[in-house]
Amino acid sequence: MFYREAGDFKTTYKADQAIFPIALDRWFVVTVVLVFLVVVPLLASNYMLESILTPVLILSIAAIGLNILTGYAGQLSLGTGGFMATGAYMAYKISTAFPGLNIVFVLIAAGLCAALVGIAFGVPSLRIKGFYLAVTTLAAQFFLLWLFTRVPWFVNNSISGVPTAPPRKVFGFLVSSADSDPIDRYLFVFIITVVLALVAKNLARSRIGRMWMAIRDMDIAAEIIGIRPLTSKLTAFAISSFYCGIAGALWSFAYINTVEPTAFDINRSFEILFMVIIGGLGSILGSFLGAAFIFLFPILLNVMPGWFGLEISVTLVTQVELMVFGGMMIFFLIVEPHGLARLWSIGKEKLRLWPFPH
Amino acid sequence: MTTRTTPCAGSEAAETEVILDLDDISLSFGGVQALESISFDIRRHEIRAIIGPNGAGKSSMLNVINGFYHPQKGTITYEGVVVKAMKPYHAATRGIARTFQNIALFKGMSTLDNIMTGRVNHMHAGLLAQALYIGKNRREEIRNREFVETIIDFLEIQAIRNTPVGRLPYGLQKRVELGRALAAEPKLLLLDEPMAGMNLEEKQDMSRFMLDINEQYGTTIALIEHDMAVVMELSSRIVVLDYGRKLADGKPDEIRHNKDVIEAYLGVAN
Ligand SMILES: Nc1ncnc2c1ncn2[C@@H]1O[C@H](COP(=O)(O)OP(=O)(O)OP(=O)(O)O)[C@@H](O)[C@H]1O
Ligand SMILES: [Mg+2]
Repeated sequence: MFYREAGDFKTTYKADQAIFPIALDRWFVVTVVLVFLVVVPLLASNYMLESILTPVLILSIAAIGLNILTGYAGQLSLGTGGFMATGAYMAYKISTAFPGLNIVFVLIAAGLCAALVGIAFGVPSLRIKGFYLAVTTLAAQFFLLWLFTRVPWFVNNSISGVPTAPPRKVFGFLVSSADSDPIDRYLFVFIITVVLALVAKNLARSRIGRMWMAIRDMDIAAEIIGIRPLTSKLTAFAISSFYCGIAGALWSFAYINTVEPTAFDINRSFEILFMVIIGGLGSILGSFLGAAFIFLFPILLNVMPGWFGLEISVTLVTQVELMVFGGMMIFFLIVEPHGLARLWSIGKEKLRLWPFPH
Repeated sequence: MTTRTTPCAGSEAAETEVILDLDDISLSFGGVQALESISFDIRRHEIRAIIGPNGAGKSSMLNVINGFYHPQKGTITYEGVVVKAMKPYHAATRGIARTFQNIALFKGMSTLDNIMTGRVNHMHAGLLAQALYIGKNRREEIRNREFVETIIDFLEIQAIRNTPVGRLPYGLQKRVELGRALAAEPKLLLLDEPMAGMNLEEKQDMSRFMLDINEQYGTTIALIEHDMAVVMELSSRIVVLDYGRKLADGKPDEIRHNKDVIEAYLGVAN
């Protein structure tokens, strides 16, 4: 009986509507945030910070973005990479055009550009659903990448076509480009991730979140109780793309240090979709779990045999990776559409009863 | 608008103004004539029943009223205004709510969230307030939660407040769906077979809810129901449809003794 919600009575609706209504959850979240904010930067190696934690956090933002669109609003999208690319290229354009502009505002502006593009490609969703919508978002993916590779304006006519991200500071700390300290970069990304995750959670538990879920669960009934499909679908596309845009910009600025199309190709779209499915459709926590799992699993698969003194060929590792991912996708799609997040809450339920079996 | 002079047949029966007037409505799907020159009206505060055999066009009639189907011919006058090609969400904003013959709840959401969703048109906080969960949004969420709790108490579904509706038994789902419709504080409530598939006790509960809604909130109700005993008991006036045509229209007593109705409909049932 370590995890309790009984005995944690809410006497007001205000308390019941708190972002984490159960006291233990609240403390858990606060603790996790503090650990990642204070302890991790002190203890973690540079490799850990810049090559693992930073990308996982950025991918989590993109996964939250796609989760808003697919998990909450029920609109399948394969254009995530394209929306991320929009954010990255627009952040590059804006930041080089206005070098004095604080990177935080650059990110917001880039996110807004991605949101506009998201709205434009979301318009077909008013007419078509499911598989056909997925195909149009796939078209968005290819069109956007084609646009950014073909039009030299987006890279300020750089000869290589792959410009480096400009060095930018926040409160005097360099957070982008290769010269920046991994700790600063990590903290910058971490704080943005926490803010965006909290905002997503707030949206999900407000009117707009209920509108999205209503459209997802039964669009006709939603329309009949007064929800306009136009506004709810397009806001989902806009906000989802805003998140993806910021993720794309951070990927270029705070992780790979270059603005390049291959980082945002169709594989990226599928990767984020897998994260959302494995992590849990319609769950913010799931977006983090999915991103961490998909990113870390191949790495673990590579290093783990070494811990046990085993030699495993790279090709075998790739095969195993594909098999495990494929198997998990099928498992989660058929058996547990709420993904790892659901397994987590089942675990909590068990913990509530532990050590008693029932 | 045509104001008919048929006396309102409600038990206590003070005649009230017409809230909805349907004049010469025809609707067809390809070759199928679902509704043919149907005219009738609904008065404020009454419980108006629509009955008829399967496929008579009852559900189609409700779908016309809330803008889900658009009739090829005829005029709909709602609160004194002629409505043309109204979208369902327009109907909702004008105070028309409904439940469905086949339950249409949001399966992935809890009872509470389903009913809260019925409040969409009573909430206006901007995106920023929602994103930060501050100010107007916080106040609105609490105020509307309080309202929704009164509905939950009224329908006696406190125990399933946080249960995902997909897991609820059929009878309770029907109740939650009624709660979601009530949450909109409708002026006109359209109920499509709210008691289908219920046992006697559940039907009694549902009848009690309908009478209470009608009396306490003064909500006008249009009711489709196959159980004659219930219809005769609850409604003030009944319109009978058969093969898309109007067969009869009047007080329960008139309908009970109407020859055409007995032949076409009640005769079969008895
Ligand atoms: N969307 C539609 N497309 C084609 N035909 C339809 C449609 N909706 C209704 N119909 C037809 O219109 C007629 C009336 O159907 P409706 O559902 O209104 O009947 P009902 O009186 O509600 O019957 P029930 O008691 O079985 O619910 C039927 O013949 C039906 O097949
Ligand atoms: Mg019907």
